[in-house]
Amino acid sequence: MSTPFTTGPFKPEAMFAGAAAGFYELLKAFGPQGAAAPDLNSLSRALGAQLEQWLKSSQAPGPSFWGSPPLAAGAGFVPTTATGSAPDARATWDLLMRLAQLQTQLSAQWGEIASGCAQRFAARAGALGAGALTPESALKLYELWVDCAEEAYAERVRSEEFASLQGQLANTTAELLLLQRRQAEQLARAFGLPTREEIEGLERQLRELREELEESSGARRAPRTQPRPKPRPKPHPKPRPRAAPARRAARRRGRRPRA
Amino acid sequence: MSEGGAATAGLFFDLGGRIAQTLVRLNAAREVTVGCSAKQPVWSRGKTTLYRYLPLTAIAPPERAQHARGGRVRARPGSARPAPVLICFALVNRPYVLDLQPDISLVRRLLEAGLTVYLIDWGDADDADRGCDLEHYVERALGGCVEHVRGAHAGAVNLLGVCQGGVLSLIYTALHPRQVRNLVTLTTAVDFQTPDDLLSKWVRGVDTELIARCGNLPGAALNALFLALMPFRLTQQKYVRLLLSGADQRAVEEFVRLERWIFDSPPQAAAALTQYLRWFYQENSLVRGTLEIGGRAVNLKQIRQPLLNLYAAADHIVPAAACAVMGRHVGSRDYTGCAIDTGHIGMYVSRRAREEIPARIIAWLRARS
Repeated sequence: MSTPFTTGPFKPEAMFAGAAAGFYELLKAFGPQGAAAPDLNSLSRALGAQLEQWLKSSQAPGPSFWGSPPLAAGAGFVPTTATGSAPDARATWDLLMRLAQLQTQLSAQWGEIASGCAQRFAARAGALGAGALTPESALKLYELWVDCAEEAYAERVRSEEFASLQGQLANTTAELLLLQRRQAEQLARAFGLPTREEIEGLERQLRELREELEESSGARRAPRTQPRPKPRPKPHPKPRPRAAPARRAARRRGRRPRA
Repeated sequence: MSEGGAATAGLFFDLGGRIAQTLVRLNAAREVTVGCSAKQPVWSRGKTTLYRYLPLTAIAPPERAQHARGGRVRARPGSARPAPVLICFALVNRPYVLDLQPDISLVRRLLEAGLTVYLIDWGDADDADRGCDLEHYVERALGGCVEHVRGAHAGAVNLLGVCQGGVLSLIYTALHPRQVRNLVTLTTAVDFQTPDDLLSKWVRGVDTELIARCGNLPGAALNALFLALMPFRLTQQKYVRLLLSGADQRAVEEFVRLERWIFDSPPQAAAALTQYLRWFYQENSLVRGTLEIGGRAVNLKQIRQPLLNLYAAADHIVPAAACAVMGRHVGSRDYTGCAIDTGHIGMYVSRRAREEIPARIIAWLRARS
């Protein structure tokens, strides 16, 4: 399922299929009578529950957009002293616990958004009028549902509470990632492998050298990616008329032949 | 089956058919190409490449004239040609959205108006570029491009900054006012702490030092961030609208071109990104006058050249209020601010983007050439 927080390689047909399936499910929930279903409140609650599920499924990596999620969040990484020092392992556990707490708080936010959306929808859907579902009425219902969802979402995510949660999630995720990298570095050192720190040092040097080279060369040439002009095809060499045997022999001797 | 039930069954049947048909069209459009005007690289530094678009000599003159609604830009008396336009796009997106397809191309409209057009492509920052900071992008990369264009045309350039590229252009112009003849900004924020700026709210509590140590930010993370600003419209509704619009193959291809761009954010150099977050979103240093680049204070009042500021009235990424105040902060006496009735992406691809925006830019430049 596509979610607001998971994007992978470019696959428009997958995104489309996910959205179309969601639309299909929504229409099924409306039933044959559309928004004129007898119990609009229970319908809205059911739709709200679907929405909450959708939002929660987006929570796995956290709305922490900064860098890759730490190993611990995705792969059940258990810190042990084998991959680092005992204090590091404890710090990792602490950060994992902190992350779990924050994600629970985030989950509560998704719940608020879903119920806010359901309430808005219940209040407005009746105004669309009764009647069987047609493509036009289905689209109207859907657009109303999206409007309600966006409004409820905007209200919540613009709050100071949500913004603070975002900051904490980003910072905790980053801290955890850095700690795990440090543990991985220790492991790399133990096996005599180049570490991130060493590679970064080399990269820095490489960049400095590139910059020095650019500065010193002065000339700013067209990049290498520029297609080189095709070499002009050499004109086919005209066959030189073969010299007469006497002349050839004279040339070899270094003197002009007598006429 | 009741009448209503039969109608609903018919609706679902019809919907199934539409889904299948749209999926076939989307699959067929997968390899659709983006970028339509011929260009050649003329300069590079690090990952940055400067392109020059080739003149549209292949297009018949009447057709060109019809497209160039703002008219042709003529040179000032005494000068050979109008100053070239250098487009400085954002670091966070690819610039090909300005030349998506022949009928959705700001670049093409400028070429049709007889302008010489250059475009900066920042490339993909890799691990070796994680230390590239804003000074690098403004002074070395953008500065290098301006120098090259000036060298090639013997004079100041018309700088067209787009979105974040507009911010870089403002900084560059403030630091090097003599290099820029006219400045055009598109969807460019100067006040990063307006009440409706959601990005600004979200990043205020972020520890930028910590984030910088994590390394470059992958492009996919940026995509996710932008989608999360309006997730239901951007990840659901637009596809359902495509489904119900009865889009033909051409419309689906257009849709896919834009999708490709939306999901194609390049990775961001850690240093520049975190400086951008801290200095602009957290400290709002551009309007507070506290910004320094390479040890030099950036004073927007130094921007005294003509300035055209176009922004979207319904922008969910760069709110109109963040752009509209530009006139108050720059020193230009010839300032024109104009809100266009569209959204952020609409500034590049909407019907207005196809007609009104190029026409405004061309007419404005023509009056100042």
